[in-house]
Amino acid sequence: MKVSEFVQASGFAVFCRGEEREIESGYSGDFLSNIISRAPEGCCWLTVMNNVNVAAVATLIDCACILLCEGTEPDEQFFQRANRLGIWVLGTNMNVFEAGKIVSKLCNV
Amino acid sequence: MQCIRLEYDVDGENFASAGNASESVKRTLKQMGVSPASVRRVAIAMYEGEINMVIHAHGGKAEVEIYPDRIDIYLKDKGPGIADIDLAMKAGYSTATESIRSLGFGAGMGLPNMKKYSDEMKIDSAVGVGTTVYLRVDFE
Repeated sequence: MKVSEFVQASGFAVFCRGEEREIESGYSGDFLSNIISRAPEGCCWLTVMNNVNVAAVATLIDCACILLCEGTEPDEQFFQRANRLGIWVLGTNMNVFEAGKIVSKLCNV
Repeated sequence: MQCIRLEYDVDGENFASAGNASESVKRTLKQMGVSPASVRRVAIAMYEGEINMVIHAHGGKAEVEIYPDRIDIYLKDKGPGIADIDLAMKAGYSTATESIRSLGFGAGMGLPNMKKYSDEMKIDSAVGVGTTVYLRVDFE
């Protein structure tokens, strides 16, 4: 499922619109070095981290989108960088587990 | 053999720009048609090195040489140096502060990741003088 379709189907908030991508899998985590070495390309990355480095790591792993959980919102630096790099940043009040179930169900991953 | 040389200043005070050098190298390699798997390995290894320079060494310089079959990366800083390189290489070992950990770093995976994603890694370090890390990644 494409990110824009996922946004519509899930009703999750959109903080930043990026390049249209297919969500091919999911990955959750907050320790950036783990994400860097383990998150698969094209994944929906679920995290509660909200600093600017999240945007940098998202580009490195080539994820389809970032999904900020538990009401996390990107700070200004994060938003600016995500915008510049063309990364989707979505948000939800759900916890990571509940949000992951939605990703799994809607995207069939 | 002809090569492309790139040089970057890594700003030690600024987490907002940390990763700019690796992003730029990643873009360049992509444009050159290097395989996505190789581009990813380079980006990960270099990003970890860049972040290390920001966290531990007040920044430094990244010098990059791109050859048709490989990339050589030299990360040079004038930071505090690494007292025990074997210990620093151990997965899970970190001297990062609590504030650095709150940013999502300090898992003690930086150097192990750099080794894992490169074909050769050399650390030259002297306490109180600085550290140079050499990384070579061969393209597929």
